[in-house]
Amino acid sequence: MKQRYPTFSRRSFLAGASATIATALVVPLRFETALAQQGGAARKPQSFIRIDTKGRVSFLLPTSEMGQGTHTGQAQILAEELGADWSSIVVDMPKQPLPDYRIDFIGQMRSVGSFGIRYWHDPLRRAAAQAREMLTRAASTRLGADPATLRAEKGFIVHAGSGRRIPFGELVEDAMALPVPEQPTLRPENERTLTGRSIPRLDTVAKVTGRAVYAIDVRRDDMLYGAVRLAPVFSADVESIDESSVAGLPGVVAVAPVPRGAVVVAESWWRAKQAADALDITFTKTPADNLSTEQIDAMFREALDRSDVPVTTLRGDAEATRSSEGRIVEADYAVPLLAHASMEPINCTAESTEDRTELWVGTQGHDVIRMTLERGLQVPAEKLTINTTYLGGGFGRKTHGEIALQAALASRAVGGRPVKVLWAREDDVQQGQYRQTMMCRLRATLDDAGNITAMRIRLAGPQMGLQYGFDPDRFAERTGNLANYDPFSVAGLSDMRYVIPNFVVEHAVVDLPMPLCPWRSIAHSFNGFFFESFMDECAAAAGRDPLAFRRTHCLGQARMLAVLDRVAEMARWREPAPTGLARGLAVVESYGSYVAQVVEAKLAKGGVTVERVHAAIDCGRAINPSQVEAQIQGSVVFALGAALKQKVTIRDGRAEQSNFHDYPLPRIDESPSVSVDIVEIGSPLGGVGEPGVPPAAPALANALFAATGRRIRSLPLSDHL
Amino acid sequence: MTAFKINGRPVDVDVEPDTPLLWVVREQLGLAGTKFGCGVAQCGACTLHIDGEPVRSCIVPLSDAEGRSVTTIEGLPQDGSHPVQRAWAELDVPQCGYCQSGQIMSAIALLAQNPKPSDADIDEAMSGNLCRCGTYPRIRAAIHRASEMN
Repeated sequence: MKQRYPTFSRRSFLAGASATIATALVVPLRFETALAQQGGAARKPQSFIRIDTKGRVSFLLPTSEMGQGTHTGQAQILAEELGADWSSIVVDMPKQPLPDYRIDFIGQMRSVGSFGIRYWHDPLRRAAAQAREMLTRAASTRLGADPATLRAEKGFIVHAGSGRRIPFGELVEDAMALPVPEQPTLRPENERTLTGRSIPRLDTVAKVTGRAVYAIDVRRDDMLYGAVRLAPVFSADVESIDESSVAGLPGVVAVAPVPRGAVVVAESWWRAKQAADALDITFTKTPADNLSTEQIDAMFREALDRSDVPVTTLRGDAEATRSSEGRIVEADYAVPLLAHASMEPINCTAESTEDRTELWVGTQGHDVIRMTLERGLQVPAEKLTINTTYLGGGFGRKTHGEIALQAALASRAVGGRPVKVLWAREDDVQQGQYRQTMMCRLRATLDDAGNITAMRIRLAGPQMGLQYGFDPDRFAERTGNLANYDPFSVAGLSDMRYVIPNFVVEHAVVDLPMPLCPWRSIAHSFNGFFFESFMDECAAAAGRDPLAFRRTHCLGQARMLAVLDRVAEMARWREPAPTGLARGLAVVESYGSYVAQVVEAKLAKGGVTVERVHAAIDCGRAINPSQVEAQIQGSVVFALGAALKQKVTIRDGRAEQSNFHDYPLPRIDESPSVSVDIVEIGSPLGGVGEPGVPPAAPALANALFAATGRRIRSLPLSDHL
Repeated sequence: MTAFKINGRPVDVDVEPDTPLLWVVREQLGLAGTKFGCGVAQCGACTLHIDGEPVRSCIVPLSDAEGRSVTTIEGLPQDGSHPVQRAWAELDVPQCGYCQSGQIMSAIALLAQNPKPSDADIDEAMSGNLCRCGTYPRIRAAIHRASEMN
């Protein structure tokens, strides 16, 4: 059911006044943005916070729930500020990407960048405070009491002196007639009783009973199923499709051509999949048909030696980073392409005609889907409805919109009937949008005391930001860098927190003929490995303890020191390593949070076992400490899988891996115990979903060095063990 | 026609007998709690029980279910009161949650056979169930917790 909303204005906020819909107090997420974009009566303001006359409170949240716990955290912030009854709130997401749901500097509604809490915390609080003040003022008139004597708690406005209380629902109609306060007063810290607590997740019961609905679970009347057959070479397109090759197969209803391939539509997914495999389809030849990982590596190595690469980041004196005086440490590092491999394969259900397109999808990129359908099928925004389900994992991959276009085209091929298009795992692993492969050369100069006086870093590899339309020179200007700044490549190097007086970062760009995609922690996922492994090399060259060496280079960096010192305590770093175990340390700042980790690993014939990981995070105030712990634990497991085993390699222009047998995820018997400490020292809010990833790979590589004296400089580590 | 019991209820389905049981359960019977992850018995997201034994339903043909009793996550108490569900909830195990139906079905089978499993027993019984979110530390703790509740 589509909800209808009346228009509103600053003077009279009469949301819900129309007789055709249920009466409710409705406050937009960001009032000014919503108002500015209203543009006449056709514009539908969203019920971000909605309180109906029965007192039911619902929140339409700006970030998709893909496991990171953001719905629970955002609801905690809102319910606390509003004074709602936690046990009865309802959360959902809007059916369109609306202006006040967009992250300003991206200009899109996106669930990325570990922004769920750190970006939305303040706007959520403010909107909830606006709604609370409107209810309070309505109660003030009703009771003839000073608003200062009234409190909002557990769904009531309560008068402190008399103990009289009025439920929210009874105040809704009066509150609706009031203007939205422009400068609401936020609750004082001592009234913040819902945040800062490990409240159980809102979605847990649904997820332990099988009731949680993911996109793959959506059922529509008369629904058909689609399986894809897509070009194995990333830049190839369709040359020919012979529909007759599947016409007689059981259950087959239609073949829908889509960009780079076809969707076979059938009565069941199993039949659709068998027909898609049997489909006679040919693809165009491309210059990338012979591309291989070896060729890519050779191009990268050549780029490491190039002489015409501009300096991106400069601290101090560039010449000092080239000097041959002092002790020089130099090393080349490399990481492979990686797939995201969310447990829920990519899928979308669509009902699409010229008149309307409705989608059921678990997406991180609401505006990307809107733009994909606008470009690919001329669907105007007002004819598009997006029902956001839970995501069975995302990790960046579900910021893309190709599946929405495939599903809409499949639906149109069968006259607008609902079609669920589901990729097989092989499609998910082989259809690109990978974490980029990269190489890195680092060169440090140590003085007599063993301190780093200069460092020069060169990345070689693609510029993923270019594929998203980010101009690297404009970004350089914006970020105080010199040139050629691609945040998807150099983040974690250009802005690293160690104090090194002379410091240069360059990026020798090598374009790859394949689409790339943010992968949990993006550039930090490889730069963390490069930099923190190299810091360990420098410490070893200086003959210093890795912790003491890092601390020496953290002068004035209170947050670096805080997490380093905490993790050192947790792991008893200053005592000898536990018998039979080797230890490695790493610390990385990303997404506004600082995470230090100590990996304890056991080396045996035929491989390495990670026994235990200690992690300390400074993410500012932890809104839900249990979920911070869960994210760090999960990030460590996620990162160790990539560090030890995962790679996508290219042969004949296509991915060689296809499923979990050759793209292995860590299993429970390979999973360490992970202890997490949250360091609260009054820092601003930082992200939580990604910052646990970057330190794990270097901490493990550093542990292996401690055990063997051998430095492994390319991932996955198991290629070298 | 293939006749079997699903969560205690007799059903008779008219689907090609070579169709994997997973798709029959999800599409024909409308029980979507059992998930598709890999299609080749590598991830365990599709784990359900046939006569109490955990199986990967993505590679079990429908014909194998003939006359047998199939239990899915929906066959557990819908209020989440099974000890394994309670332990999962107490420790807030799920993140994205997609693999958790399979994890829970595997854990129930383990505890039925071995009420007090060690960490090594858990590793062995649960290593066929992948979790991309990396909830393994909490899964391990939740199985111990459920074992105490039993």
